[in-house]
Amino acid sequence: MAGVRLEHVYKKYPGSDNASVKDINLDIKDKEFLVLVGPSGCGKSTTLRMIAGLEEISEGKLFIGDRLVNDVAPKDRDIAMVFQSYALYPHMNVYQNMAFGLKLRKFKKADIDKRVREAAKILDIEHLLDRKPKALSGGQRQRVALGRAIVREPQVFLMDEPLSNLDAKLRGQMRAEISKLTKRLETTTIYVTHDQIEAMTMGDRIVVMKDGIIQQTDTPEVLYNNPKNLFVAGFMGAPAMNFIVGTLTEQGGTLRFKSSGVDVAVPEGKAKTLREKGYASKEVILGVRPEDLHEEPVFLEASPDTIVTAHVDVAENLGHEMYLHLNGIGTQSVIARIDGRAGVMNGTNVKLALDMNKVHLFDKESELNIFEN
Amino acid sequence: MSMSDWEQLQHILNCPVRCEEVLLSDYPAWTGLEAGAIVEDGTESLIVAVAVDDGTIQLLHVERGNLNETEKALISWSVSRYGLQQAEGLSYADGRTEAERNARALGEWIVKQSLAGGTEPLPSSLSQDGRLYAEMIPFLLETEQTAEASAFGELQKLMDSFLDEDVIVIPLKGQEWLVLAPLSLVRDTLEERDEQAETLEESLASIGSGLQEMLASEWIGECHLAVGRPMKPVKSVVQSVTLLRETIELGRIFELGANIHLPWNMHLERLLANIPEPVRLRYVEQALGRSDVFMEAETLSTLDTFFALDCNVSETAKKLFIHRNTLLYRLDKLKQETGLDVRVFRDAVLMKIILLLYKFTKRA
Repeated sequence: MAGVRLEHVYKKYPGSDNASVKDINLDIKDKEFLVLVGPSGCGKSTTLRMIAGLEEISEGKLFIGDRLVNDVAPKDRDIAMVFQSYALYPHMNVYQNMAFGLKLRKFKKADIDKRVREAAKILDIEHLLDRKPKALSGGQRQRVALGRAIVREPQVFLMDEPLSNLDAKLRGQMRAEISKLTKRLETTTIYVTHDQIEAMTMGDRIVVMKDGIIQQTDTPEVLYNNPKNLFVAGFMGAPAMNFIVGTLTEQGGTLRFKSSGVDVAVPEGKAKTLREKGYASKEVILGVRPEDLHEEPVFLEASPDTIVTAHVDVAENLGHEMYLHLNGIGTQSVIARIDGRAGVMNGTNVKLALDMNKVHLFDKESELNIFEN
Repeated sequence: MSMSDWEQLQHILNCPVRCEEVLLSDYPAWTGLEAGAIVEDGTESLIVAVAVDDGTIQLLHVERGNLNETEKALISWSVSRYGLQQAEGLSYADGRTEAERNARALGEWIVKQSLAGGTEPLPSSLSQDGRLYAEMIPFLLETEQTAEASAFGELQKLMDSFLDEDVIVIPLKGQEWLVLAPLSLVRDTLEERDEQAETLEESLASIGSGLQEMLASEWIGECHLAVGRPMKPVKSVVQSVTLLRETIELGRIFELGANIHLPWNMHLERLLANIPEPVRLRYVEQALGRSDVFMEAETLSTLDTFFALDCNVSETAKKLFIHRNTLLYRLDKLKQETGLDVRVFRDAVLMKIILLLYKFTKRA
């Protein structure tokens, strides 16, 4: 097994003025499960394809272990890939599909057989070994594609949206299986997805990308609780973080955040930093996650200075929790996630308290998190 | 041993004959055997060593019992002569085998003919021992990286191993290869007659995709592959190469992100590519009133996906990982800007044509 290191890596396509991937620096540790996440066109797949050797690196260095591999062919990088549009070999059965890479590398027949059968057992496809790909379901094909990668016992697994062709139920199942599998095999894995739930649940660390640039690299917990900028804050989490544009104002020795329908006190610890950084009386963006808006009486009583009143446009009851789509907090719709038993009805007004210890404040110009930069 | 050699032997002996390659590490006792040596003389079959190299041994299985001693001696002698010929093939000064020299000569002839738009018949000296008279499936491969001197042997071995059939590899230009595979590769498809069976085109597309992925990961990295319908190379190899070359060229323009290109999916693209550039530009401007509508990558990818999924809103939203309403908003915005509502058939056709013309103008 080995780690992967990218140093100042760029990708620029011929005829294009801008680089698609800019100054990527990453140190992926041995056995780590790293997820590259971001919206379509953010450069995550291009980065993975450069690691795979399917795209040339325009500038910078790529190491697998201690070996510089910029000019090493994909087959000699000791990696195994699983892509969204994985193509199984249609004229071979499942066994042959999985064995082919080993046969090419002149593994002994007995070794090939052992590895294929072991992988098939792990993936629960032992009963399918004689079948041709066209006789398999989508999920079974996906397992074969994974099996083809596993038997190689590579230094690094590269996976690009491997679950996106599966239906939601199967995707959830395979998500857990891949996590389990990579932990068991102890192989460094780089996984690309657009889906932040996949990223949060699978990754040891997550790299959030936008416009070819890394926005933040950290553990799921840190990314969720301490996003460095507005983009990361809005991208991680479902429903997404709510943003309210407003002004910080000094009033009777307290720093308050004011916006349309919002007038709440900023806790002293945060206020001190804001004053020091010169944000008092400036416009900022307040970010609050749906679960940090509370309707419980005990919370309302304890936080009289952070209460807002809003109109419930829609109350979506999911059973265990309820999403309130609210109007009247700032200028845009806000979502609150509350207890499913709260019994809030559509069209009513509701009082909610903001957990000001957990809110984030972003610079309106740079969009950076004031407390994290 | 090539397919035609087996077939001749099968015909003479009137029994099945097959060739197999095994690892010497699995059968260490066979190390050092010479071509023609009888490995096993069973009641059901005779196994003869064909060639030993690089840790593997090639074996010929003659599946008939009760061969008399004269027949066995003749088979052994034929195989040893074959081995000798193969070894002699390696003795050219440039290190190329006889097979590679023949393939290169054929490749040069094809390139020359395609440049001259020629219709000259294929000289019989280039017909690969008559193999080009049979119907074959053409694959044209374009690699991004320049192949090394040893590439022919590597690719030939890889293709033989992947398809397990007698494949002809022909180097054309520096990064361009023609691969001719036997029709037996899609025999299942041709024989199946039920409604569930794949069409010939589906079958060719899926073999092409598998082959492209294998070549990318096991050989050369990024590459583009076009697959054609079966044809008789002796008659149509030049036309087939010309069509597949054009298919890859158009595919690189119109099918961004795809590496496998199919000529039967490129009719409209081929037609539009023949329109002179000034006419194309004028048409796009007249039809839209402006030419910068597609400047945003998001608009391009939205339309590409929408058309690829037969104008299905739900499927397109799913594929683009966006909410259905976001897609509807984008389509409404496009309607406002261009006057064309792509959810209406007439406007969708017009937009598709404009989109293709725009892509050709921008990226050709």
